[in-house]
Amino acid sequence: MTLKPFRMVLLLATSLIPLALAAIFVFLVRYSWPAIHFNGFGFLARHTWSLGNLYANPTVKHGQQVPIGADYGILVFIVGTLSTSTVALAIAIPVSLGVAVFLAEGLSARLRPLFSFIVELLAAVPSVVYGLWGYSVLTPIIAHDIGPAVRDSVGRVIPFFGGSIGSGYGLLAASLVLALMVVPIIAATVRDGLARVPAETKEAAYALGATHFEVVRRAMLPMVRSNIIGACILGLGRALGETMAVLMVSGGALNYLPNNIYSPVTTMASFIVSQLDSALQDPTGMAVRSLAEIALILFIIAVLTNVLARFLTGSRNVPTI
Amino acid sequence: MGGPGLLWHNPERRLAAPGWQQLPSFGDGLDSPMDSAQNGIKIKVRNLHFYYGKEAALHDISLDVATSMVTAFIGPSGCGKSTLLRTFNRMYELYPDQRAEGEVWLDDRNVLLPGEDLYRLRSRIGMVFQKPTPFPMSIHENVAFGIRLYERMPKAELDDRVEEALRQVALWDEVSGKLHQSGMSLSGGQQQRLCMARAVALKPEVLLLDEPASALDPISTLKIEELIYELKQNYTIVIVTHNMQQAARVSDYTAFMYLGRVVEFGDTNKIFTNPSMKQTEDYITGRYG
Repeated sequence: MTLKPFRMVLLLATSLIPLALAAIFVFLVRYSWPAIHFNGFGFLARHTWSLGNLYANPTVKHGQQVPIGADYGILVFIVGTLSTSTVALAIAIPVSLGVAVFLAEGLSARLRPLFSFIVELLAAVPSVVYGLWGYSVLTPIIAHDIGPAVRDSVGRVIPFFGGSIGSGYGLLAASLVLALMVVPIIAATVRDGLARVPAETKEAAYALGATHFEVVRRAMLPMVRSNIIGACILGLGRALGETMAVLMVSGGALNYLPNNIYSPVTTMASFIVSQLDSALQDPTGMAVRSLAEIALILFIIAVLTNVLARFLTGSRNVPTI
Repeated sequence: MGGPGLLWHNPERRLAAPGWQQLPSFGDGLDSPMDSAQNGIKIKVRNLHFYYGKEAALHDISLDVATSMVTAFIGPSGCGKSTLLRTFNRMYELYPDQRAEGEVWLDDRNVLLPGEDLYRLRSRIGMVFQKPTPFPMSIHENVAFGIRLYERMPKAELDDRVEEALRQVALWDEVSGKLHQSGMSLSGGQQQRLCMARAVALKPEVLLLDEPASALDPISTLKIEELIYELKQNYTIVIVTHNMQQAARVSDYTAFMYLGRVVEFGDTNKIFTNPSMKQTEDYITGRYG
């Protein structure tokens, strides 16, 4: 057994990953425990977030010291997170599939590496850059061009796309910025899958008289189905957790549920960042611990989507968030 | 009729194309394989050259494929037998640096002409590859795949077509209870017969088989060979194989190719028992290859 020390090292290195995951979970639960105790399940269903009176003496509720009037409800942020991610994926998935097919099939072999590289570069741009672009370029366009156009067309049929457009900051802006960040991730992953479809399979479809489009649509895409689902989950993970870019364009809704696609929203991740400073002013510490509880829930949502992805693909080769 | 004793569909076409008569086996017309062909000729290849980029892979090939017969292309690896096969349905078109010059006539159409409708051509000429290539979908969907590309029909009719194709390849009894399981779940030999069912479901006129049994075990190989024998009632079959016994067993005509040329083309019995060319004899008797 000369391999034994080597195997030990490998085992140790490999077990670091699940250990780290478990450690994060345990930390989040321990740290937010007073908040979990104080907030109860209503945490998920209430939509007001109020730090209470930070300057008066705290009271004791459910055995916990809290500022008077403190009320922590995160329904708004859960809705904000899920709605921005959903709309972002709804925009990003068709675009990404188009990009992936173009990269894998629509380019000559000479140009393929260059374009693939450019798309992968987009994934490497720091999110704050997307945020700044969204803030300075995208939101005015939504307020003056995209918004009115969508409202006056789709909005006439589907109320969710109608109504007040506001300043341009909100669900649509956040979703578009997220979509832009997610497209390169999904496109690159699906492109890799398409590139691995065996030449024999493609030839077999061509030999039946399929057109290029039919080969892609009916033979290649079904073949990379689990890649596509995996890539979308990867993108969803990015969208759920994205903080900075969303914070800069989402409009920062507080105590307010979106009623149309232009409404201001706040996501869980960006709320944690934007509120950390205020929460630290709370002498009882309950506000910070409630923020940690948001992080815990975000963590659980991310794990659940991943488990769902594995269930959907029926494969163990889904990339993890 | 002048020239070699061939059955020409268009006698006014060039009979003595350059290079054609220099082919040794056709020199005097007497041993032209098509003398015995009663059904006519399905595919005529004339002066075919093929290039991978600048490299020539086929040199001035001319031969005839008889209707409802099995024609085998044999020869050592790299001799161009698969390349020749792939010109018949223009599979090489998928690769921009591959190019064919010359003529390949399917009945009365030169399919190498630029205006040829490839999709229609490929509905007339089915192809089965070396490796089984089921698509990642159910057995039923695999067979229906090709049909759906061309025809819309009620479900009952489609089911009948699928069953008919699966029966033709003797796969129906093995899969009739699990048509909705993945085609990938079948054994290698079954997968290959599924691919043949997918090809015959289109009711093609010609079947091209590119080493269809080389990835299979002996029993599956035997089944494929039996199947070829059955299918030639309805289809003109061209098979590429590096297995000489297989060629001897299944084919009516055999072309022996070497270095991109047809060395000898004739009746399979004659090629294997009394070849005219020394090179053929050497290959048949296993001196190289």
